[in-house]
Amino acid sequence: MLRYTLRRLAYSLPVLVIASYILFWAVRATFDPLAKLRQSTDPGAVRRQTELLGLDRSVPEQYLLWMKAFVTGDWGTSTRTSGSVMPMIGSALEVTLQLMFWGVLFAAVIALAIGIYSAARQYSAGDYVLTGLSYVGIAMPAFWLGLVLIQVLAVWPRQQFGLSEPPLYFVGLHSVGESGINLDYFRHLALPVVTLTIGLVASWSRFSRASMLEALGSDYVRTARAKGVPRRRILFRHALRNALAPFVTVVALDAAVLVGGLVVTEQIYAIPGMGRLFLSSILAGDVFVLIPWMLVVAVAVIAFNLLADVAYALLDPRVALR
Amino acid sequence: MIPERTGHRPPRARRLRNPVAGALAALTVLVATACTSGAPALAPGTNSIRNVPVKEGGSLVIGAEQEPDCADWISTCAGSIWGSYLMQAQTIPQVFTVVQRGKDWVPVPSSLMAGTPTTEVADGRQTITYTLNPAAVWSDGQPITSADLKYTALQIRDGKDIFTQTGYDLIDTIATPDARTAILTLKSPYANWRQLFGAEYGVLPAHLLEGKDRNEVMKNGYGFSGGPWKIASWIRGTSVTLVPNERYWGPKPHLNKVTFQFTTDTAAEFQAFASGQLDALYPTPQLDVLSQINSLGGSADMQVETRTGNLQALWMNNAAFPFDSKAVREAFAYSIDRAAIVRKLFGSLGVTAPAQSFLSPLVSAFAAEDFAVYQRDLTRVGQIMTAAGWAKNGDGIWAKDGRAAQFTIVSLAGNQSRELTEQILQSQLRQAGFKMTIKNTSAANLFGKVAPAGDFQLGLWNLTDTFPEPTLDASFGSGSIPSDANGNSGINFVRANVPGLDALLGRVGSDVDEASRLEASRRSEKLLAESVPSLPLGAVPNILLTGKKVGGPISINPVQGPFWNLAEWGLAK
Repeated sequence: MLRYTLRRLAYSLPVLVIASYILFWAVRATFDPLAKLRQSTDPGAVRRQTELLGLDRSVPEQYLLWMKAFVTGDWGTSTRTSGSVMPMIGSALEVTLQLMFWGVLFAAVIALAIGIYSAARQYSAGDYVLTGLSYVGIAMPAFWLGLVLIQVLAVWPRQQFGLSEPPLYFVGLHSVGESGINLDYFRHLALPVVTLTIGLVASWSRFSRASMLEALGSDYVRTARAKGVPRRRILFRHALRNALAPFVTVVALDAAVLVGGLVVTEQIYAIPGMGRLFLSSILAGDVFVLIPWMLVVAVAVIAFNLLADVAYALLDPRVALR
Repeated sequence: MIPERTGHRPPRARRLRNPVAGALAALTVLVATACTSGAPALAPGTNSIRNVPVKEGGSLVIGAEQEPDCADWISTCAGSIWGSYLMQAQTIPQVFTVVQRGKDWVPVPSSLMAGTPTTEVADGRQTITYTLNPAAVWSDGQPITSADLKYTALQIRDGKDIFTQTGYDLIDTIATPDARTAILTLKSPYANWRQLFGAEYGVLPAHLLEGKDRNEVMKNGYGFSGGPWKIASWIRGTSVTLVPNERYWGPKPHLNKVTFQFTTDTAAEFQAFASGQLDALYPTPQLDVLSQINSLGGSADMQVETRTGNLQALWMNNAAFPFDSKAVREAFAYSIDRAAIVRKLFGSLGVTAPAQSFLSPLVSAFAAEDFAVYQRDLTRVGQIMTAAGWAKNGDGIWAKDGRAAQFTIVSLAGNQSRELTEQILQSQLRQAGFKMTIKNTSAANLFGKVAPAGDFQLGLWNLTDTFPEPTLDASFGSGSIPSDANGNSGINFVRANVPGLDALLGRVGSDVDEASRLEASRRSEKLLAESVPSLPLGAVPNILLTGKKVGGPISINPVQGPFWNLAEWGLAK
């Protein structure tokens, strides 16, 4: 398995290098890191900063300089904040991983439960209701859902019941002066996690239902039924285990996307994670943050892919990693 | 004067909105209006100061739409107007501050000074003498001295990564005969000398920064202060917290703590305000914001400042067809009902009359009313165009030599008020015989590429004055036309080259005799109106919302921002 993992990582390197160059070029061609100086009354401001940032060099030259420093462990300096890039990404990643952890955990459990129920009671009223709700969940964009949840679960209860503060918060991950994992943290975390969970459950429950139905319709389940194996045992021992393998793959792949894909959720709830870092960096044309950001997200995708492969092999003994 | 507010200080381009925020804002209007009703207290446009008695102690949490990039105020990474509001104005002492006298904003010496700085011009060089208040001290108890002024001036003049060196690049020498006196000598006269150590930078502590990497010490927040507050913490992406500077020589803050919470999404920001998580807001006055304000009901008080440094204008490219013709520019100006546009945009906030000058209300002391001649008059349009050899074609559009008077307007994509303005313009111009199409773009593209390259016909964006001193030479002086000679960094994007204007604007920028300068400014205004290189539309107001919990004399200062007197804020009694 180690050899398989190393081989996968080695295959990914050229992809990362090419992707990082394309991103570097695209950001340079599209966004202007000197935009805030373009309207300055100081005629020398643009010229000074162009020289300072090396923007007078060609894009391949700028990229090579950055790459040379990067491979020696220097992640560079943000043109937007003058700060080191590594701690910026580190702290954003830590925040996003918290959201992801809770969101994926709840979503996976709920989606699996819905999938099992719907598959076991296919075409029942409950199955139709859950199917309908999942389509509603899929159709709801995060920015709309987030605002509705804020209004319904935070603003409205406070106004309706005359509370001194809302039952759930929605600005950041802590109140002023608070830190660590405590009640205040969970009151802040609840709404973004619910927003994330609803979207994930909606799509994953469809997938788990389909996987379970496929497993329940297979020959080995029919054989087990013919042998008189109890229904619960068939469901959880025979069908679920086989249905889990593709489900886990989908969860892992989707979770990888979340590392950089929570832009809207983080923006609504003012959470300083990877999505918000991406947004502020791209608007400022801060290529020296964007490239490491992209590489971190790419590494996360590779890691979660590997995780999916490993999980698949563990869940299905017929699969061997070579 | 600087074009646009999208998030930075000299280019006070305050908030670059993204499409997500726009959609969110629109949705919040729907959601919030469904749940509440009424309007905030205090009628818009009154400009009155809300002054509720306060008690000592307590804390407030205020929403901040933007997080500053860094806190090294003189470096390129700074320049965020929100950085200035949140930290710089609260901790960095400035030589001049800005107060309202009658209808005009004027610079006056701050409490840092023992008296008004004096200036004189001799042999083509200007000398400015500053005398510091002996009571002025830094938060560590060290006095604020002339060495601090010298350190700051030389850092800006000689530094590499400097946001703007305007004015400081003229410094020849700075003498410090004693700890309280600094004498600055400029190579040539600089009429805006009050801006030095003023609006943009202030004074930095030499005893703490000399010999150190200033950027490294300051960029993430700093422990020193020469203002009423100190920075207690800056948690990136989350908040800035201020606590009182116990050694401040002026009136001490009433509050024990103020936290600025970064809520970059306008829609969520309003919901946080409605739910009591935020005690005050300073939102960008967009169309959706006005709707959201109404949804707050009576739970908020609103301050509106209409005499701001922000001026919306129509920018005609004088080097591009059809605006390379003075007749077309003039006819264009007579085609538009500017008053109707202004009323539609900000009438509910008290802005009902169009601007008649390119000097914003902040610089009104130097402004004239010469653009008042341009009222919508379609008969006059016909006369001007016909006299210039234009005739209407089969589509009812003016045409000459086979070319129709059709053009494209460019502004910021996703900006609702700009889009509404464009739609009104389109309709008004069509009736006058002009065909206008709309092609908006991002701020980076507009100000980074399109405008400097002159690759536009008509533009719609804001000018922002950051100090009550006129700087129209930057926008209309021929030396500011982007070219190889100035490294393509001038901001006369419209390529205006009005005969006689350069000399007048030069006098406005260098004549330290106020009466003579005023006369030159008025004459330059007249010349601008006659050649109509562009057209001012109207001032953009500022809005400050406070919850009932907040007390104190609350008002907006167009230079130092809404929190300029935060020390006087408190919890309402």
